[in-house]
Amino acid sequence: MKKNNFIERSISGAVSFLKESIFADEYASKNGFLQSLDPRIKTLTFLMFIMAILFTKSIAILLCLYAACLVLALFSKINIGFFLKRTWIFIPLFSLFIAIPALFSIFTPGQTILTINIIGAKLIITRQGLSSASLFVTRVVTSVSFAVLLNVTTRHFELLRVLRIFKVPQIFVMTLGMCYRYIYLFLEIVENTYLAIKSRVGSRLHYKKGQEIVAWNISSLWQRSYYLNEAVYNAMLSRGYSGEPVLLNDFKIKSKDWAWLFSITLFFVIIILGGKII
Amino acid sequence: MSEIIFELKDVWFSYLGKFSALCGVDLTIAKGQKICVIGANGSGKSTLLHILDGLIFVDYGSVKFLGKELKEKSFGDENFSKDFRRSVGLVFQNPDVQLFCPTVKEDILFGPLQLGIDKLEIESRFEKLVRFLDIRHLLDRSPHQLSVGEKRKVAVTSTLIMNPDVLILDEPTDGLDPLTTRHIIDLLLEENENGKTIITSTHDLHIVQEISDCVYVFSQEKKIISSGSPDKILEDTKLLQDNNLIHIHRHKHDQTTHIHPHQHLEHHS
Repeated sequence: MKKNNFIERSISGAVSFLKESIFADEYASKNGFLQSLDPRIKTLTFLMFIMAILFTKSIAILLCLYAACLVLALFSKINIGFFLKRTWIFIPLFSLFIAIPALFSIFTPGQTILTINIIGAKLIITRQGLSSASLFVTRVVTSVSFAVLLNVTTRHFELLRVLRIFKVPQIFVMTLGMCYRYIYLFLEIVENTYLAIKSRVGSRLHYKKGQEIVAWNISSLWQRSYYLNEAVYNAMLSRGYSGEPVLLNDFKIKSKDWAWLFSITLFFVIIILGGKII
Repeated sequence: MSEIIFELKDVWFSYLGKFSALCGVDLTIAKGQKICVIGANGSGKSTLLHILDGLIFVDYGSVKFLGKELKEKSFGDENFSKDFRRSVGLVFQNPDVQLFCPTVKEDILFGPLQLGIDKLEIESRFEKLVRFLDIRHLLDRSPHQLSVGEKRKVAVTSTLIMNPDVLILDEPTDGLDPLTTRHIIDLLLEENENGKTIITSTHDLHIVQEISDCVYVFSQEKKIISSGSPDKILEDTKLLQDNNLIHIHRHKHDQTTHIHPHQHLEHHS
């Protein structure tokens, strides 16, 4: 029975996680500061922020940048609890596991600040190790926070269109957009197929049969996607597509965007120059 | 005699060379006509519409568009391809196939942008259609967030904005509520009054009379079994029954139980 539930939980869990993480437009549609900026300018300035984070060697500056990120999130009407949860989920993955070994003298020799005895083995934490591990973790926290903030305050289709200012080929942008569009359709098909199976077989299903059904589902989904691929291509041809897509560009840069770009560029230059002087 | 738009002679088509979809179809469509193609599921209606839109090509027989043979190699000529796509627009049966862009607005503008239509012209058509179909609130939404009726409205808009001379619609009212059906029919009638040729495939007999001057009935043998005015076709109960377009139906009117073919045209007028 538990094995049955495992399949059900996996399918519905994966579907709802994907739906929530990919298709949640809730914050991007709010009337906040970052949402009001032109997506191109916003992406450009966020790249500057992330580059500043990479260039700076000062934890104090990194902490200031992190604070600035939280303030921007507040001004953009993002729930801080949600924002922290969203960013801190990734931190252990990206940094803690890498940073922890750097604390110890084996990897970073230097001035001892703490010695730990574990079953006779001596582990020494060094000042240099602690400093480089903290710098690394703070850098990751701050850059991940900026990346997440850009993601939650910008709609996915806008982010896709922004790729074009970085000269990403139109066909690539369009393919990404179509993936985004059809992932949802397939998620719905998976969900509905599973419900249809459940309604016919009831809840008692041997796990081996469950595995068979999942495998059958995958192959059926593959066939549907193959059919859809051909049908969508025909729909594109029917509306004049001839190999090189022309996509919509209706972004408008306002004076507020220029002011924001100017301030962030100035800040970026100061950080770079400051870093060189220090 | 009006200008002939499409002329099909003895058209045969099969999928993968073995699943027959059309078996000897003859058809002539003149400019400004309203044509309706009716038939049960799997009778070849959608295949015919895809052939008329130059998406698939016949195995045998000939298809002419404005007197010119419609062949796969004709679409290698960019000018012909663009002219044809400007002139003929198809609304697909499944709106999920037709709406492939991340937002409704991008989907509507996809066609005219590919065809290189002037930006001001696109803007003016866009505004007119958005107002007429009352879909402004949908523009920034993703097609997956729309209901079936909304998706169909957007699919129709995305074809109408190309302002084609020939509008082909595959089951345009399938799964729609009565009000949305009404909107779409009104729109088609208006387009026809403006000189456009309307070709509709449907098995919804309620709309046939309004949206056609001439009806073609497809049989399960994948060919045209009868054609004529909507009145003539809809009165031929045996023809409709033999081709799975109506069935015997029992229901009440004013406390009297009727048993009659499920056609509704006389009983609910």
